Amino acid sequence: MKKLITFTVNDKEYEVAVAPNRTLTQALRDDLNLLGTKEGCGVGDCGACTVIMDGKPVNSCLVLAVQADGSTIKTIEGVARDDSLHPVQETFVEMGAIQCGFCTPGMILSATSLLEKTPHPTEQEVRQALSGNLCRCTGYQKIVEAVQEASRRMKG
Amino acid sequence: MLLLPKFDYEEPRSLPEALAMLSELEGNGKVIAGGTDLLVNMKKGTVAPAFLVSLKKVEGLREIAGQRGGFAIGSHVTVSEIADSDHVGSAFPVLARAASCLGSPLIRNRATIGGNIVTARPAADLPPALIALGAELELKGKDKDRTIALDGFFTGPGSSVMASSEVLTRIIIPSAPPFTGADYIKLGHRAALEIAIVAVASRLTLDKPDGVIVDARVILSSVAPTAIHAVSAEKALTGQRPSEDLFAKAASIAVNDCSPITDMRGGAGYRRDMVNTLVKRTLLRAFNDARDMKGGNA
Amino acid sequence: MKAYNVINTRLPRVDARAKATGEARYAADLSMSGMLYGAMLQSPLAHAKILNIDTSAAKKLPGVRDVVTWKEAGLVKYGVSPARYDEQVFCSDKVRYVGDEVASVAAIDLETAMEAVSLIKVDYEELPVLLDIGSAMAEGAIAIHEDFPGNVSAEVHQEFGNFEEALKECHIVRTDTFTNKRQDGGFLEPQACLARYDLNGNLTLWSSTQSVHYVQRSVAMVLGIPVGKVRVVKPYVGGGFGPKAAVNAMELAACLMSKRTGKPVKMVFSREQVFLHSRARHQFTHELTTGVKKDGTIFALRNVCHLDGGAYSSFGIATIYYAGSLLGAPYKLPNMKYDGYRIYTNKPTCGAQRGHGGVAARAGWEQQLDVIAAELNMDPVEFRLKNMMQTGDVTCNDFNMSSLGMKECLEGVRDGSNWGAKKGKLPKGKGIGVACGFFVSGAGYPIYRSETFHSTATIRLTEDGGGVNLYTAAAEIGQGSDTILGQIAAEALGVSLDDVRVHSGDTDFGVDLGAYSSRQTLMSGHAVKMAAEDTKRKVLEALSEQLNVPVEDMDIARGVIVFKKDRPDFSRLRTLYIKEHRGWADQPSGAELTFREAARVAFITRGVIIGNGAYKPGELGGKYKGAAVGTSPAYGCSAQVVEVTVDTETGKVTIDAMTDAHDCGFAINRTNVEGQMQGSLSMGVGEALFEEVRFDAKGRVLNASLGEYRIPTMLDMPNVKTIIIESDEPNGPFGAKEVGEGAIMPTIPAILNAIYDAVGVRINELPITSERLFAAMKEKQKK
Repeated sequence: MKKLITFTVNDKEYEVAVAPNRTLTQALRDDLNLLGTKEGCGVGDCGACTVIMDGKPVNSCLVLAVQADGSTIKTIEGVARDDSLHPVQETFVEMGAIQCGFCTPGMILSATSLLEKTPHPTEQEVRQALSGNLCRCTGYQKIVEAVQEASRRMKG
Repeated sequence: MLLLPKFDYEEPRSLPEALAMLSELEGNGKVIAGGTDLLVNMKKGTVAPAFLVSLKKVEGLREIAGQRGGFAIGSHVTVSEIADSDHVGSAFPVLARAASCLGSPLIRNRATIGGNIVTARPAADLPPALIALGAELELKGKDKDRTIALDGFFTGPGSSVMASSEVLTRIIIPSAPPFTGADYIKLGHRAALEIAIVAVASRLTLDKPDGVIVDARVILSSVAPTAIHAVSAEKALTGQRPSEDLFAKAASIAVNDCSPITDMRGGAGYRRDMVNTLVKRTLLRAFNDARDMKGGNA
Repeated sequence: MKAYNVINTRLPRVDARAKATGEARYAADLSMSGMLYGAMLQSPLAHAKILNIDTSAAKKLPGVRDVVTWKEAGLVKYGVSPARYDEQVFCSDKVRYVGDEVASVAAIDLETAMEAVSLIKVDYEELPVLLDIGSAMAEGAIAIHEDFPGNVSAEVHQEFGNFEEALKECHIVRTDTFTNKRQDGGFLEPQACLARYDLNGNLTLWSSTQSVHYVQRSVAMVLGIPVGKVRVVKPYVGGGFGPKAAVNAMELAACLMSKRTGKPVKMVFSREQVFLHSRARHQFTHELTTGVKKDGTIFALRNVCHLDGGAYSSFGIATIYYAGSLLGAPYKLPNMKYDGYRIYTNKPTCGAQRGHGGVAARAGWEQQLDVIAAELNMDPVEFRLKNMMQTGDVTCNDFNMSSLGMKECLEGVRDGSNWGAKKGKLPKGKGIGVACGFFVSGAGYPIYRSETFHSTATIRLTEDGGGVNLYTAAAEIGQGSDTILGQIAAEALGVSLDDVRVHSGDTDFGVDLGAYSSRQTLMSGHAVKMAAEDTKRKVLEALSEQLNVPVEDMDIARGVIVFKKDRPDFSRLRTLYIKEHRGWADQPSGAELTFREAARVAFITRGVIIGNGAYKPGELGGKYKGAAVGTSPAYGCSAQVVEVTVDTETGKVTIDAMTDAHDCGFAINRTNVEGQMQGSLSMGVGEALFEEVRFDAKGRVLNASLGEYRIPTMLDMPNVKTIIIESDEPNGPFGAKEVGEGAIMPTIPAILNAIYDAVGVRINELPITSERLFAAMKEKQKK
């Protein structure tokens, strides 16, 4: 039997009827048509499905949609503000932190979340915070450099 | 898209309601908290509970409260809250350290201390430290409540003395005596997203900074069906003057206390060798912390 | 080197913004109205006869629209190389590995499709299961494929020079056996596709693929649809690394069911299915015998290789050749003997993965060379420099090193890592190691025998505004080909990258063999450059008529027409342009005639301006059997120095630093080249330290997850100091050649050599888990 849930996604309130076994990934992608959140494994091993839920980055594949009732969610679609990219998005684009792009939404969300808590992270802190997001293409280095450059730009 | 099997989902509004529900479900219901273990197993098809009960609306499960020099931690406190808590970090650094080893930051933001206990996984990250700290569990049932030691809670991989109709509400950590130090080391392949090949939590209490060991706890994990005490090692340490030689000796004795298997993550022989290394290293660190700690710190 | 306007820069990728905002659409993101969801029935047994398939219950399930088996799919055999077409969409007589496809279902939603799959009843008769080379090659072992008794899927024997004779002149002769493990591509995006067979009988397949061309041909051949009615389109792809370079049964099943139902059909692999499909790196066992003269000259090599191929051939027929041909270079080696055997086993099929057959061979050989250097009391870098090939040299197996910056790479990493100050001077437990490698810049021949062009490209100028539309079937899979092809087009035409729109990965746009064998920068790049030059010529010809200036006295650069002699009076053309654009705010002005205006003039006088390019390599390579595999118009090469710390009490290896120098001929995009270097190295680190696919006694994959198949996390991968060497490849567009696969070659051996330097232990079996290294150190201590 479906349950009616209400949640705020990217500052917009939604009311959706979901089956109990629907994950948050499925609800975002199939019910809200927010396709930027990806499924890489479905079991929390890769981080491609990362969203910010009530201020914390989580694997949305391991959250039931019904558990997100009353929550505030941010997906990759909610990172840019009014047509201008977030500094993290800008540095990712400029500095080669994006290759195939499949890990990118999750990476960017983990990174923006980190910078909110730790505005000037060390390299080790960046690597630690993003350690749940796998990337097979970049070798991570340009991602780390982009996050650190974004933190510098956000200083001023 | 990896699908979950079908199930019914309830959000009882109070603990009595939850307990009544679980009792009525007679084992067909499971509590879902962080879901980082339960949902994975449901997707893989190893479990298929007909009902999932969320305690989201139940109060009193989400605080870290000081209590008689120790802590009472709500079962639904997340692992990252524990890892990031200054209170926990300064009073019981071994617990914060264990918490920061679990999975990944994303997993830690959902996984709960309660879940990491009740799932009874032999390689779970929090139980070794909690056992070393002498943690107790507050279990509530429809008709009866009980508080039991975590030590002895686990009966085998995935099983414990907890009934399916009980709810773990709080984890009580007693205050530590002065000159107590503890450490946790997890050996995995990669630096994140790992389940331990071997892990060890050790705790030492001295009678004075340059005195003898009055209490020794060495907890081994992933080398037996449950986390266990390295009983002979603990015996070899108690009453002795700490030294690197003593720790090395205790570590090699600890090897005989465990019965590791060979599985995908490691061989039995290697695990035994790593018990040796990890016991030695955790004892050394625990000792160094104990020496410096006047007010109980573990 | 010449100064360029668009290439050799660090321009951001053309698709980066779409990826950074979540707008990029991958195959699993696609949907169409009326779409059905497909699910696959795969064999639970590693080897069994199929006695009966009963789909009746599945067909009856409400919501099911189609159920297909070999009866509907037919028995047309396919694969990668026509010499080894040994696959069918669905198994008919038997299943050959756990995961072999038996049937598929299309239904109104995924849950129904999967439930229907569970209702299909298959009666199997189990057969003996062969899970390793030894059992598969044993006397009397059952044949996994009837046509291949003895289970030898492919066999290669080559000799260049005379190995036995050469040994007589060698002071040191050493034999070592080295083995890696079966890997997985580990790309983040599981395969997915959407097939739509429309009312006019035209089939469009959107798929996460590395080669729309190969998939198109396979779909047409297997399903009996004319090639002209099959269109394959690649949406954004989340990495490929080799396993996505050929058609898979899911794509064929989706196409078949769409044809039969008249509805679009979408199918997506789960992560577990990615592992069952595999088509990734084989397990290689190399027995290497190397002979070196007293003065340190490498003189002879005998390489015997056994591949555990899995149940079908896939790219394996090429792998078994590469496993031999990719040794020798970059060192001068006149005598090389190779015997290779690829063996069928009842496990998922192995194919091509980054570096293809060269990675394991390289790892074993570069470690062995270090052992030999030590015996000669020579520094490993000096030993390599002494034997290094030079630009213009040809290998004993006829590979022409038309450009080879190997010396510069080796000196670059030696100096960049401060080798001299560290080698032999690090404390116990810390070590430094070096290795070299090289790779083809595109396979010299297509995987099917053909005279086809390898890449075509078309440029179509917009009729107004000077916009440039580039059409190519090349596959952007994350390596950055869309960007560099756009840059090449812009540079060759004389405009900016912003003026170019790249349309790629669609068989409607032409022929391109796709993203494999590290070919697109050189081959697709050539075609694009030709198309751009053709376009430029047409525009200049039109201008020439109007301005009465010879074509050779004009050029286009930075978006304006360059007049090499006196600038003519072009005011008539400008006036015409301005008149046509009354109301526009940004009318052309200034002293220069803009490309915008020139393109408009060209259209008005000649019609739509289309430039074409088509590339195929010239005559390449030797005349011996197998010469086709490994021969290439150019070869990228690299050197690497790795520094490690070994925890002697646990066996854990920490990579402290990596210095990598890669000769890519000429960097079209410097950021992209660095990114490919760093990414290759991270895959090499994973394969060296963590990665292996494991099986149980019944042939089931034990670790079909990214939790238990371990690719490096951000905490496992160090920073890489990258050095780009540009040797200016004469056969490459603007001098460019490959970087995508070659960079991985030295990684594993550099790590192995660093570990030896740290703790004095040689490891001849990958991965170098802490357990394996600990055991080796323990063993050494006993001696």
